Amino acid sequence: MSWEPKIVGFLCNWCSYRGADLAGTARMKCSPNVRTIRVMCSGRVEPTFILKAFQLGADGVLVLGCHPGDCHYTEGNYKTLRRMSLLKKMLAQLGVEEERVRLDWVSASEGDHFVSIVNDMTEKVRALGPFRQNSEEEKHG
Amino acid sequence: MIGNIRDLARKWLEDKEVDAIFALREQNGYLAPYLFTNVDKLGSMEISTQYRLSYTCRPSKENILSLMQRKEPSTRIGIVARGCEERALIELAKRSQIDLGKTKIMGIACTQEEAIECKCERPYPDNLVLGQKVEGVSQDENVDALLNKSITERLAFWRYQFSKCIKCYGCRNACPMCFCKDCKMEQGVFTETGWLPPEIPMFLFIRFSHISERCIWCGECEKACPVDIPLLTLFKLLRRDIKDLFDYEAGMDMTQEAPLLTTLDEMPMKEELASGI
Repeated sequence: MSWEPKIVGFLCNWCSYRGADLAGTARMKCSPNVRTIRVMCSGRVEPTFILKAFQLGADGVLVLGCHPGDCHYTEGNYKTLRRMSLLKKMLAQLGVEEERVRLDWVSASEGDHFVSIVNDMTEKVRALGPFRQNSEEEKHG
Repeated sequence: MIGNIRDLARKWLEDKEVDAIFALREQNGYLAPYLFTNVDKLGSMEISTQYRLSYTCRPSKENILSLMQRKEPSTRIGIVARGCEERALIELAKRSQIDLGKTKIMGIACTQEEAIECKCERPYPDNLVLGQKVEGVSQDENVDALLNKSITERLAFWRYQFSKCIKCYGCRNACPMCFCKDCKMEQGVFTETGWLPPEIPMFLFIRFSHISERCIWCGECEKACPVDIPLLTLFKLLRRDIKDLFDYEAGMDMTQEAPLLTTLDEMPMKEELASGI
């Protein structure tokens, strides 16, 4: 069987999860590579979660939250924005491609936007290849 | 140098500028932190590059100064601090670990040899009280070498470095900025205990993601590391990134809020919001 990218998606309860739900109820066609984890706010997603996802075999991590200004908890998504941009820089310094982590905004009415993000992310991660493969190569090399 | 420090400490204590001075004391040939309240004892005060007063004590995981301030909140404490120690105190104060209002910093400058030994970019404190300012080491060949590497070369480099790790927790214990009582690096959910080499990307990565924006590049982690992982090099690289991203440098300015602590009131990186990252 050919390799399929595994992507873990952290979706905020109020906007992005509803957006994904809308995509589902509207029967939009969407690549099935994202495993969804619902969190109450994208601000709940700490860098350690993303690292843990990679450790357990994810090839990419997608974090989706409400649009700036729309956060149910006022400023959770701003906090995530800073955290994620710093994490991406950190991963880049350590040799992990920045494209493996993506933060974006999806509101409850944007089912189509959700689908386009998921498809886009899947293709990008597919192009990068599996995350684990790197580690196996290094171990034996 | 140490004579001047003792004299100034005596002056501060006699003028009642501070109630106590926190510094190192030599006893039977060993150095240990000590709280000087009596001017007669100032003769045993010492300075050393080997021991940082902003250190966190293990296993109670308490910063000595914050422990003292919590017990005696009204006491004014003078502290003898080098550049890195002063930066550590500022970052700790931003995170409500210590009260700088009750602290008087006696800033002392490091010598050129000490600066080179520590690969320190800024071997002097902001409010320099004693000593002569010397220029820091601005060039680090390890940093330059890594900047020129491609992403796969970087991965190979760091994978080799981390494969040496023996999970001794030395870097965490030495770090003046690690003060959490419940450390994620000890929790089974995130770090599998009893396994070597450490999982990638966990263990050290947890520390990097926690510390990067508050790291004051004192180099204690690298000095503590028994297997010579170039941790300071990584933090120096991250420091450049943080300067680019948030226009922020840790430990420089008490009034500048740390980027991961700020709220909506001030929003750096506004332009990125619209497109997402």
